[in-house]
Amino acid sequence: MSTHADATKLRLTGVTKSFFTPRTGTTTLAVAEMSLDIQGGEFICIVGPSGCGKSTVLNMIAGLDSPSSGRIEKDGQGITGPGADRGVMFQDYALMPWQSVEGNVGFGLRHGTPGQHLNASQRQERIAHYIDLVGLRGSEHKYPHQLSGGMRQRVALARLLANGPDILLLDEPLGALDAQTRLILQAELLRIWGETAPVSERKTAIFITHDIEEAVLLADRVVVMSTNPGRVREVVTVDLPRPRAGTARTNPKFGLFVEHIWSLIRDEAYRAIGGAASADPASHQATH
Amino acid sequence: MWTAAFWLSPGKTQGVDLPKSSAILLLQAYRPMWVSLRAFAGFFLLWWLLYLWNGNPLQLPSPVKVFEALWKLLREGEIAEHASVSTLRMLTALCLAIAVAVPLGFLMGLSRQAQQFIEPLVEILRPISGIAWLPLALFIFGVGDTLPVFIMFYVGFFPILLNTMAGVKQTDSRLLAAARTMGVRPLPLLLYVLVPSALPTIMVGIRLAFAASWAAIVAAELIGAPSGLGFAIEWYRQLLMTPKVFAFILAIGVVGYLCDVGLRALQKRLTPWAEGSGVAS
Amino acid sequence: MKNTGNESSTFIIVRNLTLPVLLIVLWQLWALALPTGSPAPTPIKVVQTLGELLSKGDLVSATVQSLGRVLTGFSVASMLGIVLGLIMGSSQAVRENLDPIIESFRPIAPMAILPIAILLLGTGTPTALAIVAYASFFPVVVNTVHGVSHVDRKLILAARTMGISRLSILTRVVLPGALPSILLGTRLAMGVAWTAIIAAELAVGAKSGGGGSGGIGQMMFVFYAYNIDLNAIVVCMTVVGLVALCIDQIFRMLEKRLTPWRQES
Repeated sequence: MSTHADATKLRLTGVTKSFFTPRTGTTTLAVAEMSLDIQGGEFICIVGPSGCGKSTVLNMIAGLDSPSSGRIEKDGQGITGPGADRGVMFQDYALMPWQSVEGNVGFGLRHGTPGQHLNASQRQERIAHYIDLVGLRGSEHKYPHQLSGGMRQRVALARLLANGPDILLLDEPLGALDAQTRLILQAELLRIWGETAPVSERKTAIFITHDIEEAVLLADRVVVMSTNPGRVREVVTVDLPRPRAGTARTNPKFGLFVEHIWSLIRDEAYRAIGGAASADPASHQATH
Repeated sequence: MWTAAFWLSPGKTQGVDLPKSSAILLLQAYRPMWVSLRAFAGFFLLWWLLYLWNGNPLQLPSPVKVFEALWKLLREGEIAEHASVSTLRMLTALCLAIAVAVPLGFLMGLSRQAQQFIEPLVEILRPISGIAWLPLALFIFGVGDTLPVFIMFYVGFFPILLNTMAGVKQTDSRLLAAARTMGVRPLPLLLYVLVPSALPTIMVGIRLAFAASWAAIVAAELIGAPSGLGFAIEWYRQLLMTPKVFAFILAIGVVGYLCDVGLRALQKRLTPWAEGSGVAS
Repeated sequence: MKNTGNESSTFIIVRNLTLPVLLIVLWQLWALALPTGSPAPTPIKVVQTLGELLSKGDLVSATVQSLGRVLTGFSVASMLGIVLGLIMGSSQAVRENLDPIIESFRPIAPMAILPIAILLLGTGTPTALAIVAYASFFPVVVNTVHGVSHVDRKLILAARTMGISRLSILTRVVLPGALPSILLGTRLAMGVAWTAIIAAELAVGAKSGGGGSGGIGQMMFVFYAYNIDLNAIVVCMTVVGLVALCIDQIFRMLEKRLTPWRQES
């Protein structure tokens, strides 16, 4: 823990978000009164049933949307819009189909703010470095439609990192991949994020997922949200030792964390798929 | 093989497995070409039979005569002359249409207000086909070069405008969001995200515009121009030199086909990442 | 037109009419600045002419005549086109053999066939019908082939596993599956047919010295070359546009009614 006066990287205070539908004249409260402090170098996962506002919160942190009330501050300053300091990785990659791998990874460096102070050869170096880091060397000139899902996700990751953000926002980045690819990329993500490096050298990461096991594997803390309206149910601190890539799943505490979090959202998840919570025999057992 | 409709035996694959001798392999490699040749041979045979049955060479000439006329016209350069005139007019009209419709399409695609304001006028003018403008245009421009170009411009304008607008509006908002999170400012956003994203649809619009314009040029030149392929058809009809009429009709088809091939190649070159377009009409 | 839900319909109508009305007003002002006796069309005179032509019945009869020809030519071409499209769509062998020919004729516009048609059929209704049929044929065939050949093979396999007879598969799986494309083809064909009839009547009117082919296209030509009346031409143009719009709307409604399961693309 830092003894710095205010090491809080990101602070949400009383953030709410409501949407107004003109057609029906109704206002829906998507996120209600959310407050959260995130330290620099932390890996935070947000889990919750569908519709609990996870993506809405991420969009607000990214600056793509603004809260209806409350404040979001990064390094003590309010957030006013999107910027390269908060990089986003989307679920469907959002790669430019007309650019090659090299063009996509370098897109922000060439056309946005991150690369403004670099000259062309410095940009090239940076691009090559990150393509190498995610293990795509040799595919620089391929186009997205020629790549597999896993490769596309790595391009998106390389692009994210090449822009040098200090906060990484990842919206269900592994959701569209098959289970085995997901396992591989989880390990890759931890490695690239710097699991083995000291905290001060890591980037802050906020990762949204449906997969509870994934959340427990990756995160320092798991923010469990409930739905209707979206709010923080509990913040679970996952104190499993790092590095986790090969070891976490066999740790007995892993399963306990997973069950605990599942018990928090199980009922709502059942309701979300139109079933009754009492149908699940496991819900009759106390797990925490 | 001929009557194997796919819904009669959906599980079976088409074709028979022959032992592969080298001759068969050669045939299979160039199969599409053989099939096309055979189809055309059948077509010309049918034509020739019809010619014999019809008996009036002024109405329906023999295919042989038509090819003779075609060869003669090609050698004398007359086809090249009229074809280049028509093609030049078409290119002029197409470039003009692109120059006006693409920016307007971007404006209407980006600004809801602009679209709501301008679209009604577009929807009113669009059903009035270019052909319907012929008499009025004839009065304004008279017989000459401007008339075909104007008609073709009008005809080509709408597909390009509508496709540009659609292309802009269909831009994946995630791509725009992604670019914004990289700190990309509005102008680079337009140039480096919106334009490339809309380009495939715009190219489809251009191809549609070409097809429509090429059809319109015949009518325009038939009635209102002193030169060009459309003019040539009518000219030789009045002289009752029917083989030449047929020859020029063939030329219209060939030039149209070649231009479309050229446009498709351009499309492939400019937008290599887009999959093939759906069925045209 | 687009409605974001919080605008009144009057506002929308006013907004839709703004640009067209503005242009008409400018047109009229421009016309006022012309010397009297100028043949240029003006909005006011156009409306007057509309009234005259309607009361004389010429406009209606010409339109009906053109529509009749379109429907006849379209019907013949559609029937041929759908049947041929079904056969071609079902059998790859047939498709391979006929496709080169059909594709070769596509860049040859209906109007290019006109001189041949005149040579073979003279300058009357048969020629106009031939042009319309030629024009309507291609959209119908191309779209029918596309629709039939793209029927999901899995649906057919599923039907077979339910013991459905071959004929029923054709009528209950293939045809409904291809129907959206077929209807699209007919809608496009009608549009092309209407344009073609106007063009054909115009050109035939030009070639036959203003006599006997009838129809609204020919009427336009007469007003251009013989009873020069530009206002009447504008009236005809408007009618052409209106009819095109109506035809399109009717066919769209038909599409919706006959294929309610289709999603908007």
